[in-house]
Amino acid sequence: MALNSSVHEQITDLLQSHRVVLFMKGNRMFPQCGFSATVVKILNEFTPTYQTVNVLTEPALRNGIKEYSNWPTIPQLYIDGEFLGGCDIIQEMYANGELATKLGTAGSSLPVASPTVTITERAALALQAACTSEHDVVRLEISPAFEYDLTIGTHQPGDVRVTSQGMALYFDPDSAKRAQATTIDFVEGNEGGFKITNPQEPPRVRQLSAQDLNTMLQGPAAPLLFDVRTEKERATAKINAARPFDSDAQALIDGLPKDTALVFHCHHGSRSQAAAERYAAQGFMNVYNVQGGIDAWSLTVDPSVSRY
Amino acid sequence: MGLRLTPLADPLLANIRTCIQNQLPDASIEVDGGGGHYTIAVTSATFVDKTTLERQRLVYSAIAPLMKGDNAPLHAVDRLMTNVP
Repeated sequence: MALNSSVHEQITDLLQSHRVVLFMKGNRMFPQCGFSATVVKILNEFTPTYQTVNVLTEPALRNGIKEYSNWPTIPQLYIDGEFLGGCDIIQEMYANGELATKLGTAGSSLPVASPTVTITERAALALQAACTSEHDVVRLEISPAFEYDLTIGTHQPGDVRVTSQGMALYFDPDSAKRAQATTIDFVEGNEGGFKITNPQEPPRVRQLSAQDLNTMLQGPAAPLLFDVRTEKERATAKINAARPFDSDAQALIDGLPKDTALVFHCHHGSRSQAAAERYAAQGFMNVYNVQGGIDAWSLTVDPSVSRY
Repeated sequence: MGLRLTPLADPLLANIRTCIQNQLPDASIEVDGGGGHYTIAVTSATFVDKTTLERQRLVYSAIAPLMKGDNAPLHAVDRLMTNVP
């Protein structure tokens, strides 16, 4: 099976743009096989930022990487362009320290022990208001999956102390590794509360139900909605607010600021997931996939849109 | 080679063993599993002075015919252990 030259180019491109690349099933938030999950868990302990490629949403890459690496299985880990192996080799390298060494030479992806964190004025006020004389230590825990837990209590031994706005903020060592350049803000109102923005977070595509999409489209901050289906399918049934995902659309997206809300849909939700993941990987931070696609839209929002 | 008196649970196990034995005649091979999940342990002098990756590549290239194509009988190996005698 010859390796298609554009797939080959895609792979070399990926390997040249990122120091750590993991070809896996699923993504680091939702690994879809035990072996991929194991490698993700190991990598999470060393570095908050690494690139993953979901072979389940990219069938050409799934076969392509097997040819490229001359290796028959997934997951496959590359560091600095070098193929290291699959799950059991990575486990072995983790156990004997070789992996730490390899990642050590990957310089800039190493975590910082004492992160620079920004607390906005509003957040500082809100935090101070929440502190009492007994509990005045603000701690932020960031799990390997970048789930945040902001608490007020007491600090733990081994905590890293960071200051901003005249306030002290404590992290356990693992969370500190994931916290560099994080901002903590506070927003009033119904959807309010503490808002945490963290550039270390890996790209994430959020799932959006058809009904939630409908609500969003009618609100003040309606997102851009793209239909990734074929012309033929669009002729059969379409969502009026959706723009075709053609070359004009792609050029448009490329010029947009990375916090622009982008929503992708297709027939059932898998093609659009692939498109969404690509943009999330390019740094877009508010990317959504319509779960169930236009089919779900038909069923739950607008039955006048034909199902097919 | 010896006479096998009991039938193998999964014919693929015998194929895996044969492929590896052909490539690594001195190897002692244990293959276990079935239904898509297999563990393979190979002990061979050819593994001396080779990294784990190189050793695994040798075994995978031996069983490559079993993994090729859409209808390949073997899709994944749960564990591949390579040892020196």
